[in-house]
Amino acid sequence: MKMLALFSCLISLSVYSQSEKLQEEKELEVVNFNSIKKILMQDGLSEAAKKKEKQVQILKKEQAKVETGRYMYPSEDEIWGFTTEYWLIKNAQLLDWDFEKPDYGIDKSFRTLMQDLGFYQKKFKILLVNSPNIVRAALPGNQEVVLIISVPFIRMMDLSKLEISLMLFEDFLRLDLGYFKKSVATEKLTKIAGSNFQGAKPDISFVEELLKNYSSQINEKGYSFQQMFEVTKKMDAYLKSNPELWNAYFRLLGKMDRFLKTNIQFKEYIKLYPSPEMQVKWLSPDEKVL
Amino acid sequence: MWWLLLLPSLLFADTNSTDERVVGTFYFNPMFGHVHQSAIRTSASLTTIQCSHPVKVIESSKISVSKEWAYVQVADYRGFIRKEFLSVKRPECFQGKYPRFFDAFNLDLSELYYWGRLNDQFIQGETRVK
Repeated sequence: MKMLALFSCLISLSVYSQSEKLQEEKELEVVNFNSIKKILMQDGLSEAAKKKEKQVQILKKEQAKVETGRYMYPSEDEIWGFTTEYWLIKNAQLLDWDFEKPDYGIDKSFRTLMQDLGFYQKKFKILLVNSPNIVRAALPGNQEVVLIISVPFIRMMDLSKLEISLMLFEDFLRLDLGYFKKSVATEKLTKIAGSNFQGAKPDISFVEELLKNYSSQINEKGYSFQQMFEVTKKMDAYLKSNPELWNAYFRLLGKMDRFLKTNIQFKEYIKLYPSPEMQVKWLSPDEKVL
Repeated sequence: MWWLLLLPSLLFADTNSTDERVVGTFYFNPMFGHVHQSAIRTSASLTTIQCSHPVKVIESSKISVSKEWAYVQVADYRGFIRKEFLSVKRPECFQGKYPRFFDAFNLDLSELYYWGRLNDQFIQGETRVK
C-alpha cells in the first residue's frame, strides 16, 4: 500500500511540474529548431532556406530594375521612329494619306532596285499621300526609313514604277547622308535619349520641339544646293555601273525640270529640292571647248 | 409533328459550330491598329486595338479571306486584320517598354484612330539578306 501511495504521489508531482511550464516556453520549444538542427542539416532544409532567401533578393533586384525601366526615355533611334509617326498623325488631314489607292507595286519595284544596287537588309515603309502639299520626303524610323511620295505628283508626272523607285532611292540616300537629322535634331534630344527620369515628371517638350522642326524642314527649309549636289553625285556613283538605270534617272530629272517649270501647283518644290535643272547640269558630261 | 419545324434551326446550329475552328491566339504587333469590317486596308474600323492585344484567329468555311488577311475575333467583334501584324509570341511594345513617357502624351481618341490607320496605310518592305 505504501508503495502504491508513493507511486501515485510521484505521478501527480510530475503532472504538476509539467503544467508549470509557461505557454511561451512551450512555444519556444516548438520554434527552437536547435533541438532538430542536425536533422534539418541532414535533410538540406537550411540550405534550401538560404537558396530561397537568395532568390527573393534576386527577384527584388529585378523588380527594382523593372520599376526603374518604367521611367526611362526611349533610345535615340526609338525617339526618331516615334516622332516620325507622331508627326504623320498630327498632319493626317493636311497630308491626306488615309485614302483608297490602287496597288502600284512600288514596294516590289523599290526592293528590286535597292537589291540590284547592293543594298541588303534595309527596312522601309512607303506612305502615299493624296496631297500636292508635300511631293516627297524621307523621314527617320526606328532602324528603318519612312518614304513619303505624293500620288497627285505621280499622276500628273505620269511616273513609271522605275521612276518612282528612283525618286525614293534618291530620298533614301539623302536621309542616309544625315541631312534631315542634322537639321531637325536638338541638343535636348541627344541629352535626354536613353536617360532616366525616376522621381520627376517626363519632359516631352523636346518631342514637341522636334515636331516643329519636322514641319519647318519638310515644308519650308528643304535642302541646300550643296546637299543636293552631294546627293546627285552619290546617285551618279551608284547608278553608273548600270547605264539603263543611270539613263532612266537622267531622263527623270529632265522630265521633272520641264514639268516643274510649267506647273504652278508644285512651285515650292524647287525651293525645297534645288533643283532638277541643276541636277541635270551636274550629271551632264563637261562640254569641251575646241 | 411540331418538332419538325425546329429541325432546320437545329441543323443550322450544328453547322455553325462545326464549320468554325479557332486556329489560335495571336498577339497584335504594331503600336495601334484596327479590326476591319472587310479585308481591305481602307475598310471601316470595328474597333481599335493596341500592341500586344490578344487576337483569336478563326477559320471558317463561310468566310474566304486572301492570304494576307486573317479572320479574327477581338472581344465581341469579328473582323479582319493583316497577318503581318500578328505574332505567336507577345511582342515588346513601345508603350509597354516606356509606359510613363508614353502616357505623358495623353493621346486622344482621334490620334489613336489615325495611328491605327497609319499602320494600315504603310507599304512595308525589306530588302533580302545578301
